Amino acid sequence: MIGATGIGRGARYRRRSRLQDWGHRLVLLVGSLLVLAYALGPVVWLAVSSVQDEREIVSVPPHWIPERPTLQNYRAIFFAGEKEVTYATRRKGDPSTGGYIPSTADSLLPGMWNSLKVALAVVLLNLIVGVPAAYAIAKIRFWGRSASIYFMLATRVIPDIALVVPFFLIIKKLGLIDDILSLVVTYLAVTVPFTVFVLVSYFESLPDELDKAARVDGCSRLQALLQIFLPLALPALVAVVLFAFLASWNEFLLALMFTQTPASQTLPIVVASFASDFTISFSFINAAGIVAVVPPVILALLFERYIISGLTAGAVKG
Amino acid sequence: MTGLSRSFPGAAPRAWLSRRFNYEERSAYLLLAPLVIVLGGVAVFPVLYAFYVSLFRLKLTRPGRVPFVGLDNYADLLRDPSFWTAVGRTTYFTLVSVAAILVLGLLIALLLNQAFRGRRLVGALLLVPWAIPSVANGLMWKWIYDSGYGALNGALYQLGLIDKYVIWLGDPAKTLLLVANAFVWKEVPLAAILLLVTMKSIPADLYRAATVDGANLLQRFLHITLPSLRPGVLLVVIYESMVAVRHFDLFYLLTEGGPGDATNVAAWQIYVESFRDLSFGSGSALAYLLAIVTFALSYAAIRALGSRL
Amino acid sequence: MSKSGFGKMRRRDVLVGMGAAAMGAGARAPSVWAQAAEPLHFVTWSAAVDQVKSHLTAFEQKTGIAVDYSNSPWANYRETLVTKFVAGAPIDVLWVSDSWLPEWADAGWLQPIDQYKDLTRYNGDVTDFCNNSMSYKGRQYGLTYYSDHMAFYYVEDMLKKAGIDTPPQSWDEVTEQALKIKQAGISEYPVMLALARETWLIEFLSAMVFSQGGRFTDEQGMAAMETGCLDALKWVVDAVNVHKIVSPGCVETGELTGLKAFSSGTHAFALEPQYRMRTINDPKQSQVGGRVKQVLMPKGAKGTHATVGWMRFYGMTAQVQKDKARAENAVKLIEWFGGKADGAYAFQKLVFLDIGAGFCTKPLYRDADIIKAYSTYGDAALVEQQAGFARKKDVVTSWFGEWNEINGQVWQEAILKKATPEEALKRSAEAWNKLKKEAS
Repeated sequence: MIGATGIGRGARYRRRSRLQDWGHRLVLLVGSLLVLAYALGPVVWLAVSSVQDEREIVSVPPHWIPERPTLQNYRAIFFAGEKEVTYATRRKGDPSTGGYIPSTADSLLPGMWNSLKVALAVVLLNLIVGVPAAYAIAKIRFWGRSASIYFMLATRVIPDIALVVPFFLIIKKLGLIDDILSLVVTYLAVTVPFTVFVLVSYFESLPDELDKAARVDGCSRLQALLQIFLPLALPALVAVVLFAFLASWNEFLLALMFTQTPASQTLPIVVASFASDFTISFSFINAAGIVAVVPPVILALLFERYIISGLTAGAVKG
Repeated sequence: MTGLSRSFPGAAPRAWLSRRFNYEERSAYLLLAPLVIVLGGVAVFPVLYAFYVSLFRLKLTRPGRVPFVGLDNYADLLRDPSFWTAVGRTTYFTLVSVAAILVLGLLIALLLNQAFRGRRLVGALLLVPWAIPSVANGLMWKWIYDSGYGALNGALYQLGLIDKYVIWLGDPAKTLLLVANAFVWKEVPLAAILLLVTMKSIPADLYRAATVDGANLLQRFLHITLPSLRPGVLLVVIYESMVAVRHFDLFYLLTEGGPGDATNVAAWQIYVESFRDLSFGSGSALAYLLAIVTFALSYAAIRALGSRL
Repeated sequence: MSKSGFGKMRRRDVLVGMGAAAMGAGARAPSVWAQAAEPLHFVTWSAAVDQVKSHLTAFEQKTGIAVDYSNSPWANYRETLVTKFVAGAPIDVLWVSDSWLPEWADAGWLQPIDQYKDLTRYNGDVTDFCNNSMSYKGRQYGLTYYSDHMAFYYVEDMLKKAGIDTPPQSWDEVTEQALKIKQAGISEYPVMLALARETWLIEFLSAMVFSQGGRFTDEQGMAAMETGCLDALKWVVDAVNVHKIVSPGCVETGELTGLKAFSSGTHAFALEPQYRMRTINDPKQSQVGGRVKQVLMPKGAKGTHATVGWMRFYGMTAQVQKDKARAENAVKLIEWFGGKADGAYAFQKLVFLDIGAGFCTKPLYRDADIIKAYSTYGDAALVEQQAGFARKKDVVTSWFGEWNEINGQVWQEAILKKATPEEALKRSAEAWNKLKKEAS
């Protein structure tokens, strides 16, 4: 736009313009590289230091490129299995000097499994609860419509830390502590308002005439929603599914309080439990971090387009 | 209404519904019902319950004694200097973070608003920080900041900017800024995207007209881009302040409120009060105060963006 | 789609559970299996992991009782466990620090074990210090895991290089010698102190306070931090800020990080638990292996060589005692670890030989293997002398946990020059007295 080259203008102007054009391109190139370095640098370093062994990882200054890359941490995570430790096979000496792979390495996969179950359930419930409500708010004039929008806004801004204590007491009463069901329920508080906002703004962008036509054809409201609007709203639905999924997958605070054993711990909790333990090797912690990072990043990159449109709609509304 | 339901028990609400509301409205309420039930259960009820809890001296180490103390927990908090320290730290963290997010987000949005090859790739990869779990973000930066073997020390040392390894998170002068940096890194992509969308909505005609009038790049930025960006900037500022004010994860993972009380922000204090001192009553009171602040911020958001709702 | 997905998940869980059952491990078994056979849940901090596992394997083979063993970091063991207790997480047998006994017992999370004769019959072999440390309000709450005290170490050749022949006897001499070492360019921060806010902190602080002739509380249990406590804090504040012989990073240095740093040879002096001698002087684990010597705790001007002692033990939860059959199994597990296994104090001996962790069981002092092991890396006579100076912590109360948060914070603030030592300790003392009043 700025560097547009004119045709049929003076040669001097053209030369200046070409110079400007090159300068402009250089700025863009350098800018892009800086942005990429900023956004990816830390993650790349995390990945690099997850394939260094414990002796290499404590080099001063650090080895930016590993000299003896090893996959031992990933092997421990994915193929560990419980090996029986006997008097004969025990490691003598203290794990305190670090570098040991924790016996809990193999609870990462169950943790991932828990995260997946929770996230899928949250996604499903978000759709069941969010789609009809968003449709009603977007397309039906009814008494209390704006009140319901304010209600959503209010729930959207409740800090999660303020919910922890009441949730804790309620969940304890229900006997759901250490049960992934407690996470499914509480994550709804965090995800549903956003889901509704994204869907409302999308439904609003669809013409009202569609609705009227459907009603003339004798569709009920529910039929109109399911047969006409839902197929058209596919992009927004993808965005909503992704957001609910990522929010559940990444959630930390509530999971920290409500899960106590590997039976219910989600991936972030298992990973965090390594991080405060200095007996464990730095490189192992980094590998655990990478395992937690890869699935959401892949999802985000695959569905980048939907995420951006969803973020825009949701944030503007919320 | 009460009179009707008394004379026609059972059938009354339905009859009343159909008399009071037309089909449209009734179907709207039915479609909204699941949402109202769910949010009522998982958001409204807990919030009210938290207020109820905050009126008691509920201490989990003393299961037998739970006296009702009215608003004493709130009064105690407001008198406690460490509460005001936490308020100060939270404000500082929020201001620094939001300012940095805004500036970096704006620069990146300006870049991505240009047409060039690879723009989409850069935009997509920018999502990486946004997508990763906060726990991975926390331990990644903990590792980078590590005073003994961290990449930050390593890089600065190799570049000759420091002549010996420096203490990072253990230095109270730096630690809050370092946490803010980790926070900013994760939040910038969202800000950049929101600002980019606003930029794209600026009519190209405006720029063309300004160019014809002889405005240079800087002038166009100052007189067209910035004013038109106002709603986007406002949105980013309000949204990110709300996120920053209540942020917890990084404080748990990186500093645990320390060293000393250098990173003792409100969210961390709520956690300590509730789950280390096990004072659920005063913890809830503190959480309530934080909730009120975020409500106030969001009220400002509604007012500021009212026209867009 | 999602429904059938969930069905599949359940089936796989069951399969995994059955697999674990077949292996007889049960340690990492998912919920389905846990409900089916319900092993004993044994929770520890992440120390002596392989020793515990190997001794558990032998236990499971001998008794056929399945044990689900899990561990979490010592650095925040209390926070983790307290949350678990409050949430009602399944824990049957666990390691407990003497610091937490009143809090956990008063809250009803821990139960006494002295009704089990199989456990109390070992008391005669245990030192008085340990028996006392496991008792609260006249009841006994466990059997020994290990017991230890804080000790002062120095790297001999670093001192020699700086022209120092005799190790320090007092805190003033520590300052003096550290300055010499620093000026000689041998070490930037010659003294290693690990003062991060973690579970170890109270033991480091108590050791310094006691050696200054001070205490945290008086005979009536009221705060008494104006003298020895203040001297100890002032020494640290000056060491960090005036003499610069202790790294300002000490406030983020936990015991384990500190141990690694000392083992890597960057410091000349260190305050560390006695049992770390084994690791510090092991050339396989430590760069200063074989070069580290111990000296009695430095004295304060008004102090002695006093240090702090502590003990950790196997406790039982209220939860497991509700179920008689499970409680019996739990007793067997505790006996196997804290008492005798196959007629010998096998586990205490094992952790001493492998890791160096001190024991409470008097007969082991006469064990030939143990005497031999001691002589390879330490001075047994000196250790015994230092142990004689060990005193119990004087802050072990039901409000210790809450006070500890505040106390740790104010010590750090003083070290970081955000408060004067006097102000800091005044706040700590006020907090103590307030909590004491609330609790009574």
